[in-house]
Amino acid sequence: MRRSASKKPNQPNSVTSSATDLSRSASSKGSTKEMDRIDQLFNQYANTSSRVIDPEGIEKLCSNLEVSHTDIRILMLAWKMKAEKQGYFTLDEWRRALKSLRADTMRKLRKALPELEKEVRVPSNFADFYAYAFRYCLTEEKQKSIDVETICQLLDIVLGSTFRAQVDYFVDYLKVWIHLFISEDLIFQSFYQFVIISSHYEQIQNDYKVINMDQWMGFYRFCNEISFPDMTNYNPELAWPLILDNFFEWMREKQA
Amino acid sequence: MSNQKKRNFQIEAFKHRVVVDPKYADKTWQILERAIHQIYNQDASGLSFEELYRNAYNMVLHKFGEKLYTGFIATMTAHLKEKSKLIEAAQGGSFLEELNKKWNEHNKALEMIRDILMYMDRTYIESTKKPHVHPMGLSLWRDNVVHFPKIHARLLNTLLDLVQKERTGEVIDRGLMRNVIKMFMDLGESVYQDDFEKPFLEASSEFYKVESQEFIESCDCGDYLKKAEKRLTEEIDRVAHYLDAKSEDKITSVVEKEMIANHMQRLVHMENSGLVNMLLNDKYDDLGRMYSLFRRVTNGLVTVRDVMTLHLREMGKQLVTDPEKSKDPVEFVQRLLDERDKYDKIISTAFGNDKTFQNALNSSFEYFINLNARSPEFISLFVDDKLRKGLKGIAEVDVEVVLDKVMMLFRYLQEKDVFEKYYKQHLAKRLLSGKTVSDDAERSLIVKLKTECGYQFTSKLEGMFTDMKTSEDTMRGFYGSHPELSEGPTLIVQVLTTGSWPTQPAVPCNLPAEVSVLCEKFRSFYLGTHTGRRLSWQTNMGTADIKAVFGKGQKHELNVSTFQMCVLMLFNNADRLSYKEIEQATEIPASDLKRCLQSLACVKGKNVIKKEPMSKDIGEEDSFFVNDKFTSKFYKVKIGTVVAQKETEPEKQETRQRVEEDRKPQIEAAIVRIMKSRKILDHNNIIAEVTKQLQPRFLANPTEIKKRIESLIERDFLERDNTDRKLYRYLA
Repeated sequence: MRRSASKKPNQPNSVTSSATDLSRSASSKGSTKEMDRIDQLFNQYANTSSRVIDPEGIEKLCSNLEVSHTDIRILMLAWKMKAEKQGYFTLDEWRRALKSLRADTMRKLRKALPELEKEVRVPSNFADFYAYAFRYCLTEEKQKSIDVETICQLLDIVLGSTFRAQVDYFVDYLKVWIHLFISEDLIFQSFYQFVIISSHYEQIQNDYKVINMDQWMGFYRFCNEISFPDMTNYNPELAWPLILDNFFEWMREKQA
Repeated sequence: MSNQKKRNFQIEAFKHRVVVDPKYADKTWQILERAIHQIYNQDASGLSFEELYRNAYNMVLHKFGEKLYTGFIATMTAHLKEKSKLIEAAQGGSFLEELNKKWNEHNKALEMIRDILMYMDRTYIESTKKPHVHPMGLSLWRDNVVHFPKIHARLLNTLLDLVQKERTGEVIDRGLMRNVIKMFMDLGESVYQDDFEKPFLEASSEFYKVESQEFIESCDCGDYLKKAEKRLTEEIDRVAHYLDAKSEDKITSVVEKEMIANHMQRLVHMENSGLVNMLLNDKYDDLGRMYSLFRRVTNGLVTVRDVMTLHLREMGKQLVTDPEKSKDPVEFVQRLLDERDKYDKIISTAFGNDKTFQNALNSSFEYFINLNARSPEFISLFVDDKLRKGLKGIAEVDVEVVLDKVMMLFRYLQEKDVFEKYYKQHLAKRLLSGKTVSDDAERSLIVKLKTECGYQFTSKLEGMFTDMKTSEDTMRGFYGSHPELSEGPTLIVQVLTTGSWPTQPAVPCNLPAEVSVLCEKFRSFYLGTHTGRRLSWQTNMGTADIKAVFGKGQKHELNVSTFQMCVLMLFNNADRLSYKEIEQATEIPASDLKRCLQSLACVKGKNVIKKEPMSKDIGEEDSFFVNDKFTSKFYKVKIGTVVAQKETEPEKQETRQRVEEDRKPQIEAAIVRIMKSRKILDHNNIIAEVTKQLQPRFLANPTEIKKRIESLIERDFLERDNTDRKLYRYLA
């Protein structure tokens, strides 16, 4: 841990801004203690051998925070941390969030959650948070899409409170969509094989049971811009992702 | 000698010694008045022009122009009033004659009087801007005779009656008509129009309204049109003979309106005789007549064209969607060509090669040909049939004609890439079985396709021809370097470049020993001269000619497929074989083997093999033996078939899938090409541009284009614009 006291303010070759230097030096004593407490808090949940908070630790954290681990606020916390790997928090990430939230005890952290939620729900932040939520669920190196089951859960968590109707219908649609592919599998068998042979693997990824970032963001735009459930201002001939065109048609058929 | 002022030398006018007789003017006028009377009474011979002129001249000179002018008017008016009474008194037919006579007399008189009063005309009238003598004379005639109430209406009615009579077939005095109507014209254009032309047009309109209604109730379309044409010609003739030329357009408009424009729809749609009937029965005369008549009215040709288009589309739709007609592809296409020829002839013979009709024909064909998704396949099969046998013995010029007609149909196809796929398949079969009638015809068609679609379309096809040629050379080289092989079976190999030919999976098969030895020799020969290549035998595409001797000594040469050869050769070493034994020995896959055995054992007239049990289908427990009693009229018996046939349903599905798969990269390439040059483009424009670029090959589906765009977004070729979600951006 760096001691900010060893840093002299107004050093000509100092990279950090002089303002933060001043604040650091001013509250250096306080911040050191704060940082210590933050670190201690970290250690309560971290795995001793890997030195990171793993899924088990997160579960413990959730119960102490009195939120369910599928609660959006945990995701928001992860966002605040800029956590990279789903299910794990590193020390740096932990520090980043708690420092920003000025929470060095569990009590303070619990109390900071409503503030955090307010911050995230600011529209400019929420778009960023929404995109983050998708990326957070990508586990493999070159992965670009997420399976529909996970997407359904994620949508519920992230948009469930603000766009209940849209999420419910869209989740229904996605489930029907997979079902369609499963039951038509036999017909698609030869086509499927042929397509494999032609090595268009990523096409299958697109067509079967997965959602990519573009479609994910498209749905958010849909919720924000399109009146629901009438969808009178939706135009399938515009640049909406195809999956939303299909959703729109499906909805129309249901409404007829 | 008068006193002269020394300064100015003036010459004064020579003054006449004028006798100013107060009664001078009256006296002079009386002379003139009497003269006018005499002129009108046809009694002018004793008059001296010079004297009268001088009298008139003097009056004007002495400032009595006005008296002269008013006197002239009064006298003439009185005379004309008298004349009109006489005219009015005329009975029946002589009315017009009287009028005409009196008119002629008046003109002559007027001329004379004008000459006499010439000085007044040029001076007094000039300066007072009153009407000149001649026009005045005409106006007086008009006012006192023509517009005389008892003459006015009667004159008009008489004229119109005569026209009516002539229209009903009677002969009238055209000369008289001409003169009288010329009288109107002479009296001034507005007189002609108001007093004659307008009523004439109205009466004609009424007449034709009634007549056209009669005709349309009683005639069929062709007859009606003949009558209308006749009336039109008559009216034009009438104008030429006794009306003002300017009336021609007006009267023809009336006829066109009443006889054609008002009945357009009814004529065109007339049951059993309307446009459609004429088209179906190639009634060139009637069609030509309809065209030239309807051309005269607004929207006439549009009406004809629209009905023709509708009919074509209906007919075409029925043709292509009728399952009966789709049974034989060659007939299907021939029927299309025949229809096209028929309508081409109609348009050139009866419609004067009108371009708008040509376009309607083309758009209709394009519409319905694409209603049947198998059209590309069928057209290829038609070509296949022609190139196999249809063009045998036909002169080169005629061959070109047929191929050009086929190209015409080809141009209508929206899915040209589907055609290409089938054409490739069929061409491959033709080349490999050596069944093409004319190499020149084949190449000619390829050139036409290349001109139409560009190099890429035909490069693979040309590759196929090259392979055939190269293979011939290779075979020569092979046998050249292996002279000892000329004793045994003759091997003919075609080496096909993968990629140029339709892809086929290589099917395993054990060749008879004699054959496989040869094949191996060939393989080492070939690979010896071509390093880095790999050969795989396409046993499912080959043929063989085998000499066979049957039980009673019958000798035949059998033309069979490679698979069939493998099976037959087994019977050189065994009298009887079971299905399983054959399968084991040849290693031919089950479905192919069953088909092969079926063609050898179950087809009447070609059953060189017999099967037990004698059922129709091949069972895995069956056994086979040579048919010793086999007979055929011909020495050479063809058993193998490598002829292109209409695809079965599952085959069709597969080809369709392949085509769809091939389109995906083409769509993506088009998108990338467009985005690379434009950098940023909105959604609708991308769709439009991509569709346009791909149009020579196929009609791109906007949904499919959208899918490809999204795929490209996922692969980071494109991105959506952050602020304007309608825009896409190219990522370098």
